[in-house]
Parts: sequence; structure tokens; C-alpha cells
Amino acid sequence: MTTWETGPTAYAGPVSLAPQPRAVGALLWLDVLDSTIRACGEHGRSELAEWLTRRRAQLLRPELRVLVAGAAQQGKSQLINALINAEVCAGAGVPTVVRHAASPTAQLVRRGSPDADWTDEVGLQDRVPLGLDTLGASIAESTARLPAGAPVHAEVAVPRSLLAGGLVLIDTPPLAGLPGVAERAGADVVLYACDADRGLGDPDLAVLRDLARFQPGLLVVFTKTDYAADWRRTLADGRARLARAGVPAATTAVSSVLRLHALKTGDTALNGESGFPDLIVHLQRTIAAKPDRLARDTVARLAQVVLAELAVPLRDDLAAQRDAGVPDAVARLHATQRRLDDLRKCAVRWQNSLSDEIGDLMSDVEHDLRERTKAVLAQAEEFFAEADPAKAWDEFEPWLRQSLQELAETSTTWLAERTEWMAHRVAGCFPPEAGEVLPPPALASAVDDGVDEQVPGLDAPPVARFSPGQKLFIGLRGSYGGVVMFGLVTSLAGMSLINPISIGGGAIFGGKTIRDESKSLLKKRQAEAKAMVARHIDDVFVRLNKEARDSVRRVQRALRDHFTAVTEDLQEIVMDSLRNAKVAADQDVAAREQHSRRIQEELAALARLHSEALALTGVRA
Amino acid sequence: MIDDEELEQRTYRLLNDAAHVYRAVPPAAALLRSTLDGLAGPLRIAVAGPPGSGKSTLVNALIGEELAPVGLPGEVVYRDGTEPRAWWQDTEIPLIRTATGLRLTPDARHTAGTGERAVIAWPSRVLRRTELIDARLPAADADAILYVTPQLGEPELRTLRAARGRLAPPVHIMVVLSRADATGGGRIDALLTARQLARRRRREPRTAMVCQDLSAVSPLIAAAARTLGDDEFAAIAALAALPKDEAEPHLLSTDRFTAADALRPVDAQRRVRLLQRFGLGGIRLALTLVRTGSDTPAALAERLQEHSGLKELQAAIASLFTARRPVLRARSALTTLDRLLRTHRNPAAGNLLGQLELLVADAHELRELRLLSALRSGRVTLPREDAADAGRLLGGAGTSVGERLGMSPDATAAQTWAAARAAGERWRALAHGRTLTPAARRAAETVLASCDLIVNRLDRLAAPIP
Repeated sequence: MTTWETGPTAYAGPVSLAPQPRAVGALLWLDVLDSTIRACGEHGRSELAEWLTRRRAQLLRPELRVLVAGAAQQGKSQLINALINAEVCAGAGVPTVVRHAASPTAQLVRRGSPDADWTDEVGLQDRVPLGLDTLGASIAESTARLPAGAPVHAEVAVPRSLLAGGLVLIDTPPLAGLPGVAERAGADVVLYACDADRGLGDPDLAVLRDLARFQPGLLVVFTKTDYAADWRRTLADGRARLARAGVPAATTAVSSVLRLHALKTGDTALNGESGFPDLIVHLQRTIAAKPDRLARDTVARLAQVVLAELAVPLRDDLAAQRDAGVPDAVARLHATQRRLDDLRKCAVRWQNSLSDEIGDLMSDVEHDLRERTKAVLAQAEEFFAEADPAKAWDEFEPWLRQSLQELAETSTTWLAERTEWMAHRVAGCFPPEAGEVLPPPALASAVDDGVDEQVPGLDAPPVARFSPGQKLFIGLRGSYGGVVMFGLVTSLAGMSLINPISIGGGAIFGGKTIRDESKSLLKKRQAEAKAMVARHIDDVFVRLNKEARDSVRRVQRALRDHFTAVTEDLQEIVMDSLRNAKVAADQDVAAREQHSRRIQEELAALARLHSEALALTGVRA
Repeated sequence: MIDDEELEQRTYRLLNDAAHVYRAVPPAAALLRSTLDGLAGPLRIAVAGPPGSGKSTLVNALIGEELAPVGLPGEVVYRDGTEPRAWWQDTEIPLIRTATGLRLTPDARHTAGTGERAVIAWPSRVLRRTELIDARLPAADADAILYVTPQLGEPELRTLRAARGRLAPPVHIMVVLSRADATGGGRIDALLTARQLARRRRREPRTAMVCQDLSAVSPLIAAAARTLGDDEFAAIAALAALPKDEAEPHLLSTDRFTAADALRPVDAQRRVRLLQRFGLGGIRLALTLVRTGSDTPAALAERLQEHSGLKELQAAIASLFTARRPVLRARSALTTLDRLLRTHRNPAAGNLLGQLELLVADAHELRELRLLSALRSGRVTLPREDAADAGRLLGGAGTSVGERLGMSPDATAAQTWAAARAAGERWRALAHGRTLTPAARRAAETVLASCDLIVNRLDRLAAPIP
């Protein structure tokens, strides 16, 4: 390496750090930028606001940071070395920041994180001094000591009048994700190096297109023109391709080898051939233009990108609103109205259903009771077809009471079941959203009230007694004929009228008469008992029927009251929600209109800002 | 463990079995048929790489003629023929020779179809045993790949990883760094520096993962040297005859070299032509060579070929590709079969796949190639004399028994036997001893296996014919 202090520096034009007189409104870009930052804040995009704030600070710095980027082996490091005539970029795979200083220094800077800005201050412990004369080796040595993948860059300061104007050159290793690196490195301008032998390929154009979104003053430098056979064609071709791709980038062609050779030999003509004077003039113009022209272009570009990003969610919102159709609140209102109608229809329906069911139930209960009593009666009659009421009554009476009791209970149970079923049936008429409308079980069991009392007993029928006296009398009356008949016959045989034979005959006749008499008495008793039982059962039937009807009526009244209350409650609720829905729908429509009006206003504000930003580029100072 | 003959036979049998299994599947059957045909044909080397990397120029340099067609899309296949002929999409088309290469003029009726492929038949010694395919992407059916690229960065490594295949180490890939002459701004020592860099790159595991070898070549200088004309030599000699101080400023840049009023002895037009043919670096190199004694066209061409890296590349192709024709062809055929078996499922495919895996695992040749490349690149180190011995035994100097043992052609059978026995003993001791590092011991085991194979082959030679 040549010594650091010496080495001619080509073209060191007069560059002053003193602020140059500016046209009125030259700082307008700052206003636009601030408005944009505010807009980001208002739209809750703090990360964008932060980014813009960083860029703002960067734009206000007096230095011009130039990032030299490009694919591998494109002569990036050589470009910087030739530009300032010092071997500062060793190409050790570590980015190098080259700036001006009165005395040469070199440090390796370890950044806090891969995402940290390169311009952030770092402490002394993160700065490793490097040997100036063996830069490449000492960078390799220092990086080897750091953990692998630690974010580092070298900072080299050399005394060069070109750099004294505030120019900072940044050499980057070949890498993807260029806009991000340019961002973090705080680059104001990007030089994209490209081998003139190779020309711009599609990957290069893609990277350039990405860069151009954020970076004005993009410059494509075709390097190694000394070696390329036909670099003029490559240059023209590159220009055409850039124009076709719509990338606003300037182009130039240089040869680092020629420049270094020219500097070594002091050959001005060769220096001219190297193409570097043009590049240096361009860079110096850019430095001069930074506070005004470059800043305006940058702000215009940033504002466009950011505003477009801010507008996206707003437009989406607007479109979504337009596409959403009937809003929720209105839909709810309609639904509530429908529910009210349903409820009204349901009231009619359940009333009809209840009265129908009650009618059915009444006839069913009566029919059922009748059937059951008939069966009991038939059994009783069958019993008395054989049994003697006088003897069997004690046995019969408990049975009758028992069966009638059972009958009453069965009927009551059945009635209760029917009532419950009916309640379900009526409840079924209500719309499902009405919820649980069944009456409490107490209501349905109102049936039980009337049947607590016992079925009355039945006294024995008055029995026509057949006393021994009567038997004797009837026996004597029957035996009279027998004695006479047999006495007459035996008298013929010479016996007296009263003889043993006639007495025997009388006895037979008397016995027969007694038997006949007692049989007819039995018949009579049975008929009497049957009639009595039938009457009794009929009484019981009438009473049970009456009770059942009463129960049914009671149940009917209870159910009607209950369901009427339920209906009224439901109606009340629905009316309430209808009122609410109406209010909500009105509010919603108003809110939506207001919202879309606000979005449109915001969009208009963004558009205004956008046109202001665009105007920045148009204004020539 | 099997040797190359058996590998070839077993590959052939396996492919035949597969052809039988897939006889009812037309595309698979067609693929297998062409693969079987390819087993008998010449070695197909694909010269692949990104556009503008110098593929066509390298093909010219390898064949030694300006054959690459001008402005033709798609891939170009160069094969041996009795007379120059050309086909475009299977239709024969006229072929015109121009100063800068062949001009093929496919007309519209020929351009129908999707795969654009031109075939050029040319009588050439180089093409007799190999077939070159000039394509942008590594052709799937190529036996070996020369990947030509200006630099070996992450995107190129990715392409190569995709081309490596899953069957075996990448014994069939060689990377050619094609901008060797422009290294360090195209100084005289550019090619030397480039070759040193290449040697260093070769040792990197990242590079070794994807290729067998890596070399730095300047296709431009190599092609120009192979086809150096007398008038070109005359022009170069005239330039070299100029005093150094007078010539030097005009060699600084292409602009200066072609300027109308510079270098009077050779007129500007010829200088432009020279620049196109040699490049500035090539011209600087040629002038230096002429000044330092290469004063005949033949000597200059020879030295230029040497400096351009072509000789080294040719040697590498000869020892790594051409000498290993059977194993490379078997490898590509097996790769094709493997892909077929995995994509066209068939009840019998599992069995075939098992046989295939067994065959690949058995193939000692593939391991030999791998170790050779490791030894050449220095990824595996053996003591110096052992390394030379191992390279020879592995077939680095030729794959016949005599060449492997380093015997003179007139050695007797008994001497050969003794040499084979001795080599076996020595490598057995090395492989089982404790003097070497584990990696070197594994290498020694592979060499030992090669020795065993040599003994087996001698046994077979000596066995009485039944």
C-alpha cells in the first residue's frame, strides 16, 4: 500500500461545509416529510414513522453516504480504492465505511444487532483498532475473534480532500437484500457496480428496481472498461435495459486499473480515460445537491412509498364496506321484526291448539271412564250371577271399593299424563327461540286436587231373610199336598190317611217346596244386588266424570293463563329488542356514513400530501 | 465389492429387468431403451453453465475448431461423424462455416416443437470417445458435467447441488471457473493467480460437496490457442517486436489497444480481431510468451494452452471422466433408473430399487473416484510417497492392472504377482495400523480394496480356461 498521507487526489473541487444560500421554500421537503411522519402516526403506523424519522435525521446530516453495491467480482472495492487512491477496501467480506479524517485511522465496529443502524453510536468496547498497513489481514484476524455471524463493519478514515467535502463511501460484500442494507447503512446514494464485460442481467435489474423505489440518485457504474472488449456497447445496452425496466438510474463507465495506473504515473490523459473525473464530478454535485435537490427527490420517493402503503388499508376498508351489503344492525332489525310476526302467529296457534286439545280430552276422559266402569259392572254382574249376595257381600264389597278406587286413580293418572302431554303440545306451538315455555309441573298436576276423597262404600242390599219359621210354614204348606196325595193312595190299600208312607211323601213335597222357595229368594236377592251395584257404579261414574271435567277445566284455565303470560313476556322482550335494533340500525347507518366520509377525507389528505411530494421533484431550485 | 466390468454387466442386467417390468408403460419403456442404448455409446459430457459464461468457447477449445453455432437458441450436441453435418430438431439442415463459427440456419418450419436441440456431427478425434452437450442447465441424461461459470457463488452451488443426484458422491461433476484471465484486472499472472485460487477453493468442503474437481480456465485464450492462425501469430510477433516502452501504454486498455493511431505495425482492424479472439489478457500473455522465446506458432499455441489451463482441464477430463467411462455411464444409467423407479410406482419396483441400492453400495469404482478426487484436492492427506502410490493403485494413472501397479509393459506375470502381493500387504498394514489419522485409515481401506481387486483380476487372468 502506498503511504496514507501522500497520493494525489484527483479533482478536489471547492466544496464548503458552510450552508449555501437556499431558495425560499427549499426546505419545503422537510415540511412534506414531517407531514408524512405525522400521517404515519395518525394511521397508527409507528414503524413507518420511526423509519421516516431515521431517514429525516439522515437527510439532515451534512455528509453524503454513498453505498457501493453489486454482485460478486464486479470491482466494487477497486472502485473505492481507485476513487480515493488508497487501498482501503481489502475485500475481506466485511463492509467498509471510508470517511475523511485529518489522520488515518481504521477500526472494526461491532454493531448491537444485525438490524441496528450503522450510524448508531457504539461504545469503545465494540471498536477494535485495525492495523492500517495490513488492513485485510487484521480485519480477518479481528473478525475471527468475534463470534461467527456477528454484525460488523470496518470504519476507515483517510485524509482525502474528496472525502473532506462530506463524502462517505461504503463498500459492501456481495449480498442479497440490498435495499435493507442500504437502509441500515444510512446510504443517501447507491452506486451499483457492474462488470462491463458482463453487462446488466435480469437479477441486477430486479435489485435495481427494488433500490429505485427508495433511492434517488441511483448510479450504475460499469467497471473494468480497460479489459472489456466492447464496453461502449454494454453501456448503451445497459442504458436501454434500464429504460425498458423503468429504473431511473444514471450510468457511467470507469476503469479502476487505468485510474490507479494514472495516479501512479501522474498521467492526466489516462486519468481522463479512466472515466473517474466524471464520476467524481457527479459525486460532488450530489453532495452539493444533498440539502436540496437530493433531499427533495428522496422525500418525494419516500413519501410516495409510505403514502401508498398508508392508503392500502384505507382503500381496503372502503372497498370492504362497499361490498359488505346490509350492515349487521339493520339485519338484526329485520330479524327482530320477523320474530314479532312469528310470535303473533304463534299466539293464535297455541290458543286454537289448547281449545282443541281440551275438547278432545273431555270426550276422551268421559269415554274412558265409561269404558272402565262398564268393565267393573260387567265383572260385578258376573260375580252375582253365581254368588249369593247375602253370603258373599262381605267379600264383594271390598273388591268393588278397591276396583273403583283403582279406576279413579288410573283415570286420574291418565288425565295427568294427558294434561302434561297437552301442555307439551301447546308449548310446541311456540318458536324454538322462545326458550323453555312449559308450565311448571304444579300446574299440570292441578288434576289431582279433586280425587283425594275415597270412593264411598256400598251397604249390603236389604236381604229378604228366609227364617226357620218361614221355612217351617212353607214346608208344612208344601207337605200338605204330599200327605194328602200319598194318604189317599195308601188309604186304598187300607191304610189310614196318615201313615208312614204319606208322611214320607209329605216330607218330600215339603222339602221340594222349601228348596224352590229359597231358590227364588236367591234370584231375587241377586237381582236386587246387581241393581244396587249398577246404581252405585253409575253414581261413582257421574261423580268421577264431574271431577275429571272440573280438573280439565282447571287445567285449561291454568294453561291458558300460563301461556298467555308467556306470550306477553315474549312479546315484551321482542318489542324491546325491536326498539333497540331500530336504534342500533339507525346509529350504524349513520356511523358507516361517517366512517366512509372520514376514510375518504383521509385518503384525500394522503392524496394531497402525495401531490405535494410529487411537486417536490418538479421544483427546480 | 465389484469392479467396473461387473458393475457394467450388473447395470445392464438391472436395466433389462426394469425394461421387462415396465414394458407396458410406453414413456418408461422408451426412456429405458434409450438408457440401454446409451450404455454402449460414447461418454456424454454436458458443458453447462449460466449464459455468457463461455460454454461455447470452451467447447471450441476442447474440440480445437470454431464449431459453436452463432446465435442459436437451445442446446447443441456435438458428436463424431464421418463428415460435417447438422440437424435441427431431427431435421437435417445446411451448415455454413464462417470466420466466427458455424452458421446454422433453421427456418421456421424446423422451429416447431418445444425442446430446441441442434446436433452437429464433426469428424474429430476428441469426439470419438466423448459426446459434448452445450446446454444452459446440466442435462439430466449426461454422464458427466463440466459446469462452466465465471464465479462459484451461492446461486451456482445451488444449481450444482440440484444436479448432484442422490445416488453417489458427485464424481461426475467438474467445475470450470471461466473468467480466469480477468482475475486481478487481467495482469500477466492472472491465470496463475486464478489457478492458485482454484486449488484453494477445491479444498473447501462446500465445493467438494458438489463437484469432483474445480479448475480455472480461460476458454477464450484456450480456444484462440487451439486455432491459432499464422496471420495471428505474425501480428502478435510484430507487436512483440516493438520496444516495450512503446507497446506498453497501448496495452493498458482495450480502447488504447484498438485506437486508430496506435501500434502502427498492425492495422486497427486486425487488432480488433485479435482482441476479439484473445482478449486483452490473452494478448498481453501472448506478447510476453513470444518475447520470452516462444517464437513459432506451434510453440506459442502450446504455451498458451498450458497457461490458459486447458491442458490441466484436458488431463482432468481424461483421468476423471474418459478413463472412467464405464463407471460414469453406469452411474448415469442407474440415476435415471432410480428416478424412474421412484416416480413410476410398480409392485416390482421395490425389488429393483433394492437391487439398485445394493449395486451402488457395492460399486467400489465410485469410492475409488471419490478418494482420488479427495487426494488430488488435499481433503485427505497421506504421507507423500503413500499418496503417489495410492493415486496409482486407485487408477489415477490408468485403470489397467499394469498401470495401477506401476509395472513396466514388459514385466513378467510373476513380477506382477509379487508387486500386487506386496502392495496388498503394505496397505493392509497401513489400514489396520495406528500410524495414520482415522480419515487416512479409511482412505487406506479403500486402497486396500483396490489391491484386493487387482489380485482378484490377476487370479482370473491366471485361471486355466475350462
